[in-house]
Amino acid sequence: MWREREDEDVKRVLYVQTHGRATPERSATPFFLATAAAAMDNEVAIYFTMNGPQLLARGAPEEIVVPKAGGGGRALRFFIDQALDMDVRLFVCQPSLDLHGYTMDDMIEGVEMIGGAAFNDMAIHADAVISF
Amino acid sequence: MTFAADQVLDCSGMLCPMPVVKTTKAIKAMQVGQVLKMIATDPGAPPDMAAWARQTGNEILQEAKEEGKFVFYIKRVR
Repeated sequence: MWREREDEDVKRVLYVQTHGRATPERSATPFFLATAAAAMDNEVAIYFTMNGPQLLARGAPEEIVVPKAGGGGRALRFFIDQALDMDVRLFVCQPSLDLHGYTMDDMIEGVEMIGGAAFNDMAIHADAVISF
Repeated sequence: MTFAADQVLDCSGMLCPMPVVKTTKAIKAMQVGQVLKMIATDPGAPPDMAAWARQTGNEILQEAKEEGKFVFYIKRVR
């Protein structure tokens, strides 16, 4: 699922997000680390499994508020848009969609689906895999 | 030593990863050899910009602290 590249010195970083709506304080970090990695000319993807797809369900990014000490905080949508704007790719896995009763129609724009084999292939061909 | 900046980018008040993102976009819109002056208040900016430069192959000509702000002169190398 990584892109074919002519530029061989590009590094690939794969993030894995397993946390969902119950823990908004764990929702944004993979997005902003991925955004920073993409800004450094790396090819970057985030794989959402277990509860991760909850973050990408339609409506969720607007409802989930990433908390901030002292109050305030920002909607998760801000961090997702920042990542998409830097060409970070967002993947969900089929079994974890089933787990929550989702289909791809329930996912926000920009989300792609892969299965377990493709995920492992991405992990093997990544320069770093970082799991949350 | 001071450098002539072709463009100025003020990232004051922005937090990680915004300064890195804005710098990337600004540099990509410039010509190779041009210099970007970037101003940031994020305390993480110095290590972040050093890592960004190492990874992207662009050059930080100078990093200074002026009136409590970090000021970087960044040359687009590639």
